[in-house]
Parts: sequence; C-alpha cells; structure tokens
Amino acid sequence: MTDLYLRDRWFEDLPVGEFHVFGSHTFSELEIVEFAKNFDPRPESTDPEQARLNHRQGLTASPWLLAAMWMRKMVDYMEVYAQGVNDGRRNGAGVAISDLQWLEPVRPGHTLTYTYEIVAKPDQVIREKWGMIRSRNEAFNQYGNKVMQFEIDILAERRPKESGDPQQQ
Amino acid sequence: MATPFPSDHMESKSIELDQSAIAAFASQFDPQPYHLDASAADQSIFGGLCASGWHIAALATRLVIETLLANGLPFVEMTSVSRLKWSRPTFVNEKISVRVTVATSDEESPIANTRCQTLEIEVCNGNGAIVATMTANAAIAIDAALAAST
Repeated sequence: MTDLYLRDRWFEDLPVGEFHVFGSHTFSELEIVEFAKNFDPRPESTDPEQARLNHRQGLTASPWLLAAMWMRKMVDYMEVYAQGVNDGRRNGAGVAISDLQWLEPVRPGHTLTYTYEIVAKPDQVIREKWGMIRSRNEAFNQYGNKVMQFEIDILAERRPKESGDPQQQ
Repeated sequence: MATPFPSDHMESKSIELDQSAIAAFASQFDPQPYHLDASAADQSIFGGLCASGWHIAALATRLVIETLLANGLPFVEMTSVSRLKWSRPTFVNEKISVRVTVATSDEESPIANTRCQTLEIEVCNGNGAIVATMTANAAIAIDAALAAST
C-alpha cells in the first residue's frame, strides 16, 4: 500500500478539508534587509538604524518576503513528498490569490509556521486537463499569533483517462 | 473637503527581468523547473522560462511604492491584498511596469497616523499586455499627505 501525499495525487484525489503544517522558517536580519533592498529600498526598510525611527520602531520583514517564504516552504514540502513526480499533479500553477492579510509585523529572529488547508474544489475543467484547488493558508509566529493569511487557487492536473492508478505516470 | 490625492492613474518606470534576476529569486523562494530550467520550462504549463508570480508581486509593489512617493503620496505599508490575479507569464528579458489608481477606502488603517487607501494595480509587460492585476490596501501617512497637498 503506497501512501499518497500532497502534490502526489491527481485533482480528483485531493479532498476538501485536508490540512498540512508544512514548514517553519526563522527570518534573519540579513534576509529581511536583502529582500527589502530589492523590493522596498526605502532607508527605513533597509537600514537598521533608520528603521528604529519608522512606524514599527525597527526592521520588519517585507510583506512579500513572508508570502515568498510560503512558496519556498511549499516547494520544499513537495520535494520531500512528491519525489519523481514531474507531471501536473505537482507542477500546476497559481492563478489567483484573495483575502491576503498581513496582521502583525515580523521582526528579525521571529519564526513563522505555515499551514495549508484545501477549502474548495470548484467544479470546472480548465484548458481540458486541469482542475482548481482552493486552499486557505496561514502563518503563525512563535507566540502562536496569526501574522498572515490568504487563499490561493492553484491548478492541479485531472487524472488522465487512461490512467486508473494515480501512482502510475 | 478636497482630496489630497490624485484620482487619475499613475504610471511607473519599467523594470526588465533578465534570466539571472528570475533565477536568483526562484532559487531562493520558488525553485520549480519552469523558473530555473529552460528545457523543462518549455514543456511546462507556461511554455517557457518565466518569473515566479511572487517575484512579480514583489516587484510590482516596489514599483507602486516608488510611484506613489514620486507623486507625493507618503506610502507607509501595504496591509492587505483583496485580490491578485496572474494573467500571463513574464518571460526572460520582458519588462514590467505598473499603473496605479488610488481610491479612498472606508476601512480603518491598522497603523497609527495613517489612512487606508485602496490601490488598483495593473502590471503590464513591454507590449502593454496585462500580466497581473492586484487590488491592495495601503497605509498612507496622514500628516505628510496633508502637507503635500498644501
């Protein structure tokens, strides 16, 4: 009996309600500064001294760094559980996100833990072979406070007609 | 009361995404074949090597920040995104720019001494085609905003 994991199954085999705690990351001052240099190069976002004078009274992670790290942790999770899978069970694409909120600042040394829950599977066939998986994603800091949330629609390949066994490529 | 904010849309400069920039972001945050490996990307759902959607979102936000500041709007922080849709891939050596329209919002800003403004953002490539659209709320400083209007 083979276990089936996230991104190792066809669209039809992914149940609404499935929940994963899929990764944690501690944000360093260096990566917060490096990301801001590329994506928000205001001195109050990149310079620790000038940041002390900003509305947060110190460096905080750029909102998109928190979201980009969600992606990295999800890819790492797939690497563990979907090795050898190179088709559309795994390599779908994000289409849209909604209700993205950043709720609390994330400072150097803070650790976020990311969760993923499938909340809907709209009944539609996209470009003949894809289905849509809607998931609710949240990130919690080391105090257990939610600091980010969003929903994302990601394409997952539907089971090919010839393939009865989802494990066969 | 006259609004201190321009109501017409504003346009940013453009940024070109070369392969090294796409690979640098993807290797750190989104190491999937269609962002890193040209031959795998050709076979993928996107049909070619392209930037991570998160890279586009972050770059677009940088362009928005620069554009608002250049137009005298003291942007403080993006606080939420009610909707972000990726419409088409951004391939190697394509340029992106943003068009921003600022609207008033009834929502209360979560950050002191700021007001909440809604930003309608269109991200375009060098051909003018829309690659992403985003509706976001931003905190805009109140004092500086009033100062800028006088």
